[in-house]
Amino acid sequence: MKTLRGFLGLDTQRDRYAYAEDPRVGYVSAQRAADRWVKTTCGYCSVGCGMLLGIREGKAVAARGNSDHPVNGGKLCPKGLAEHHAIAAPGRALHPMLRRNGRLSPVSWSDALDTMVTEFRSIQERYGNEALGVISTGQLVTEEFYTLGKLVQLGLGTPHYDGNTTLCMATAVSGYKRSFGSDGPPGAYEDFSRADVILLLGANIAENHPILCRHLDANPRKTLIVADPRVTKTAMMADLYLPLRPRSDLALLHGIAHLLIREGLVDRAYIEAHTEGYDELCTFIERYTPEFVSEITGLSTAVLHQVAVLYGRAKRGTIAWTMGVNHSSIGVETVNAINNLALLTGNLGRPGASAFSITGQCNAMGTREAGFTSSLPGYRNFESEADRAELAALWKVPVERIPAARGLAYPDIIEAALAKKIRGLWIVATNPVVSFPNLDILRQALSNLEFLVVQDGFHPTPTSELADLVLPAAIWGEKEGTYTNSERRVSKVNRAVDPPGEARPDFDIFLALAQRLGCADELFPAWTGPRDAFEEWRSISAGRLCDYSGISYELLEEHGGIQWPYPAGSDEAPGAVRRLYADGVFPTESGRARLICGEWKPFPEQPSQDFPLILNTGRTVEHWHTRTKTAGIPILDTLSPRAWLEMNPRDARMLGLRPHERVDVLSARGTVRGIELRVTEIVAPGQVFMPFHFVEWNANAITQSEFDPVSREPNYKQCAVRVERPATAHR
Amino acid sequence: MKLPLLENAKNGSMPVDLLDHRNDPIGAGAQCGAAAAPMPLRLPADGEQYRFHFDMTKCIGCQCCVVACNEQNGNPAHIRWRRVGEIEGGIWPDTSRMYLSMGCNHCLEPTCLEGCPVDAYTKDPLTGIVLHSAERCIGCQYCTWNCSYDVPQYNAERGVVGKCDMCYGRLQEQRAPACVDACPEEAIRIEIVKVADWRAGYAEAANAPGFPSADDSLSTTRITLPVRLSPDLERADAFRVRPEQPHWPLVLMTTLTQTSVGGFCALLLDQWMHSARVVRSAAWASLLVVAIALAASTLHLGRPAYAWRALSMWRRSWLSREVLLFTAFAGLGLVYVVALWWSGGLAMLFGLCTVAAGIAAVFASARIYIVRARPAWNSGHTLAEFFLSAAFSGPLFAALFLPDLQRSLLVFAAGAAAATLLEQMVRLLWLANSDVFEMRATARLLSTRLRPWLLARAAGLIGASFLLMRPTAGVAWTMAALVLALALEVLGRWLFFVSVVPKSVASTYLQAREAA
Repeated sequence: MKTLRGFLGLDTQRDRYAYAEDPRVGYVSAQRAADRWVKTTCGYCSVGCGMLLGIREGKAVAARGNSDHPVNGGKLCPKGLAEHHAIAAPGRALHPMLRRNGRLSPVSWSDALDTMVTEFRSIQERYGNEALGVISTGQLVTEEFYTLGKLVQLGLGTPHYDGNTTLCMATAVSGYKRSFGSDGPPGAYEDFSRADVILLLGANIAENHPILCRHLDANPRKTLIVADPRVTKTAMMADLYLPLRPRSDLALLHGIAHLLIREGLVDRAYIEAHTEGYDELCTFIERYTPEFVSEITGLSTAVLHQVAVLYGRAKRGTIAWTMGVNHSSIGVETVNAINNLALLTGNLGRPGASAFSITGQCNAMGTREAGFTSSLPGYRNFESEADRAELAALWKVPVERIPAARGLAYPDIIEAALAKKIRGLWIVATNPVVSFPNLDILRQALSNLEFLVVQDGFHPTPTSELADLVLPAAIWGEKEGTYTNSERRVSKVNRAVDPPGEARPDFDIFLALAQRLGCADELFPAWTGPRDAFEEWRSISAGRLCDYSGISYELLEEHGGIQWPYPAGSDEAPGAVRRLYADGVFPTESGRARLICGEWKPFPEQPSQDFPLILNTGRTVEHWHTRTKTAGIPILDTLSPRAWLEMNPRDARMLGLRPHERVDVLSARGTVRGIELRVTEIVAPGQVFMPFHFVEWNANAITQSEFDPVSREPNYKQCAVRVERPATAHR
Repeated sequence: MKLPLLENAKNGSMPVDLLDHRNDPIGAGAQCGAAAAPMPLRLPADGEQYRFHFDMTKCIGCQCCVVACNEQNGNPAHIRWRRVGEIEGGIWPDTSRMYLSMGCNHCLEPTCLEGCPVDAYTKDPLTGIVLHSAERCIGCQYCTWNCSYDVPQYNAERGVVGKCDMCYGRLQEQRAPACVDACPEEAIRIEIVKVADWRAGYAEAANAPGFPSADDSLSTTRITLPVRLSPDLERADAFRVRPEQPHWPLVLMTTLTQTSVGGFCALLLDQWMHSARVVRSAAWASLLVVAIALAASTLHLGRPAYAWRALSMWRRSWLSREVLLFTAFAGLGLVYVVALWWSGGLAMLFGLCTVAAGIAAVFASARIYIVRARPAWNSGHTLAEFFLSAAFSGPLFAALFLPDLQRSLLVFAAGAAAATLLEQMVRLLWLANSDVFEMRATARLLSTRLRPWLLARAAGLIGASFLLMRPTAGVAWTMAALVLALALEVLGRWLFFVSVVPKSVASTYLQAREAA
């Protein structure tokens, strides 16, 4: 309500709209002037931008890019520029909440943790240790991942621990492991600015990793090739755009390999010295003739030749990909086919030459390295007796306690909950009700649980609403640790403000649980803060591919991020650009990289008479994942207020649908109701696209339970749908 | 207004070498290759000014500039001094979707400034930046109607307008504007332009698809377009046109002032025809109506307490002139009523003056709306509509007090109603057949969403002209006719306000056009 003075215009809120002088950023709105600036790293995506968080009177009031940081040189995306608002956004989880008589009500931390331990132990006593599952995230700091991994596997004693990273880059992990013998993206961002030819495959970086575009911009001589079924922002930047059919990427890659081999554009010396399986690949690839591939991809044979020649003749060629490749039931084969191309042409381990998986979350890499989910910490293998023994020795625990096989992956944990094999579930910093495919199945699985704990910085979220216990966690800006970005650069994240209410850093929660489980002294002796975890992790990683032993918090602060491997005693400058496999030696048994033959298959759910359109999903630059953080930030939510469905004008005409009309999208599994139609030539006829951020228009109500057999990553990107005007449509 | 940049430059306390790269990347800047400075390295010389350069080939539509601008200025999310829009064309897979980022264009002939009734705008003589003073502003929002780019944004919470000032405060510290500083693609820069050259040859570089014509105010923003531009590029928001705000105080103010002026004319006619008789009550009533109208109009202001300031810019602003003329109309009317006590002849003279002021005031009132930024208003139809309204409701009002003239006044009003209907039909056809997107959009609004109201008014006008031709008369009958006429005119004026589609830079698909 306006006051009388406001109504008369005597009060124009001068103070609120006044400007002030900030010593670092200068003339700025008084609301945004800080009294100190804290160096940190952005908590959204994996680009890993260096940031400064402005603090005034204990509140975060501004966010700026750190111009000294090698990744972003002071620039940020719109989410980063508004990231300080996430901290004070509405809907933060403030108190532990326990479900009593069907309702969540506040409870003390001590009761909350006691209840959690009692319930989990009771489930494990009744149904066995393995009746407990844990699903974490790519959002925590590496120190927390390292701690959580030990806590779950050795403390709670269940191997069924995975992260939402399986919804994201598990495919890249598995692909790297199969081709190179280990996970770990081999390249550096510098490759984008130094390559002659860059092929982006299923990677809309202009929308999803905008700051990476700067590294491309800095490369005046590049030829940029973008392959995507949708004419994305990134496609429009391309010198050569390949509008391939959905999920024909693997065929395209094999087709290029075929032409490289046929035209003699391969690096024989590299192949002979550093790879195995070349002859098998030659035989396998024979059938992927340009004609055959053209039929699958919809690209002309001339274009296929052009791409093969461009990449084959490049002195420095980089292929980078993101979720267009990963969100696939043949994703691992596709990653292997990308790696094949890099190996065939020797485009690996040199400046501008890389097979680059651009990761999703800010610290998905951290959980890959230090977590204890799809591998043992430090990229050690469950299956390797030597790795297990080494780890057990380092941790001073009996080797029998180290699992010899990976537990269930995320989709299989959900499957097991559905089958009532998993009875208790602990979800940390992720929101499956929006992010997991095939919502109905997920809801059924969660409702089968006896006890569901959700630990998150926000409450209520669509997932935390279903919990039996909600643990309020600190978020980015409220805790300390490290993130690793897509180019293996470890950067420091700092605590700038206190968490709200009773929220606590995830690290503290893990230690408190360890105390109650009685394993704190054994697993985390005398630990008090993230630095203790980091120091132990450094020693655990020593000698491994992801060697952190030369990295310290102090060096990170000084250099704004250091790429691993950086072993102790290294004579390289900490800030030097590093690549993996520069020597052509791979962590496989033979030391050679493997050329892998993986057959292309059409995507599982082909369009039919009932569901004639192919649905593709993706993101918009203003929002982060399931919008728990960004929905409460007014500027981002105003810029991108609703979900939309893109449809080609030809299809819209056939269906008699008009721009801005609210339509329903139906699949065999469910319906998205009342989504706003965008009629646009961005999408091909026969295809539709919608963003996956919005719970109100939940794309995963219609996506399918189809997973890559190796990585277990969902095939989000294609499913068959029908679009229709709602029965009760009004104009 | 204080112009420290100019003062500093004059007294030599500020280095003439402005700026540069200090906010530009050090790390990635070095790594990503050196880019040209985002700002000129000196102050503009005589005959020069600063301007924005927007490179459409670089913009990826990330909205960083928008967020950075709001952060810099502490604006709430719905008020954006810089906006990004989309234009799209081509056929899949040869599709192009381009983005437009726009703050203020710091025009050579700023229409915001020309219309401002309180001199809140200044075109900075040194930099050419169009500055706005929240202190002087009274929140009349006339600038928001005058700008073809929808740049000035009204902040209802404050009761004043605000706009992009090219981060004048940052420029003084030799820092690039927030948008320039934040753009990851270096698509926005500040340049120096020679004013005379630009005036002569702006058309090439100032226009772009999705961008209103630079002719309106000589926008200075230079836009770099792709070499090969899809010929069918269209604004992404073309399919969503929403009714504008009704501005109720102005609906009432314009309708009632016109009734009052029309009424006064009839009254004077009566006095002229029957010089022996004087009807003071009619004069008093007309004055009461105009007083109510003027009081209502102040409610439209964000800062009603400063309404008096609107008188000050009568040399330039039609809004000032309107306020001045209606004030004169009311004042002269009062003198007329007083003069009636002692001299019919003298009163007649004042009466003529009153009527002249009133007619001039209605003219000024209509001229306010005849602005390039609002094409559906920008024609003689607005004048016709306003004067017809006076001719329709004024005589009915006067007829309440003038029994002798009643019959002829009602017939006259019937004629005015018929003329109004005809005028409206012609206007709708004119709009519907226009080449201008905004005019066709107005016609589309009127014939779709607003059609029931348009038809209701048309039916009302037809009904009114038939009923008024009937021979029956009487005070009650006249009163009923007047109420109907006022209702029809209020409805018509409401349609006038809500159906206008302002010129504006294209917005994104999901964002509705901002209402003024």
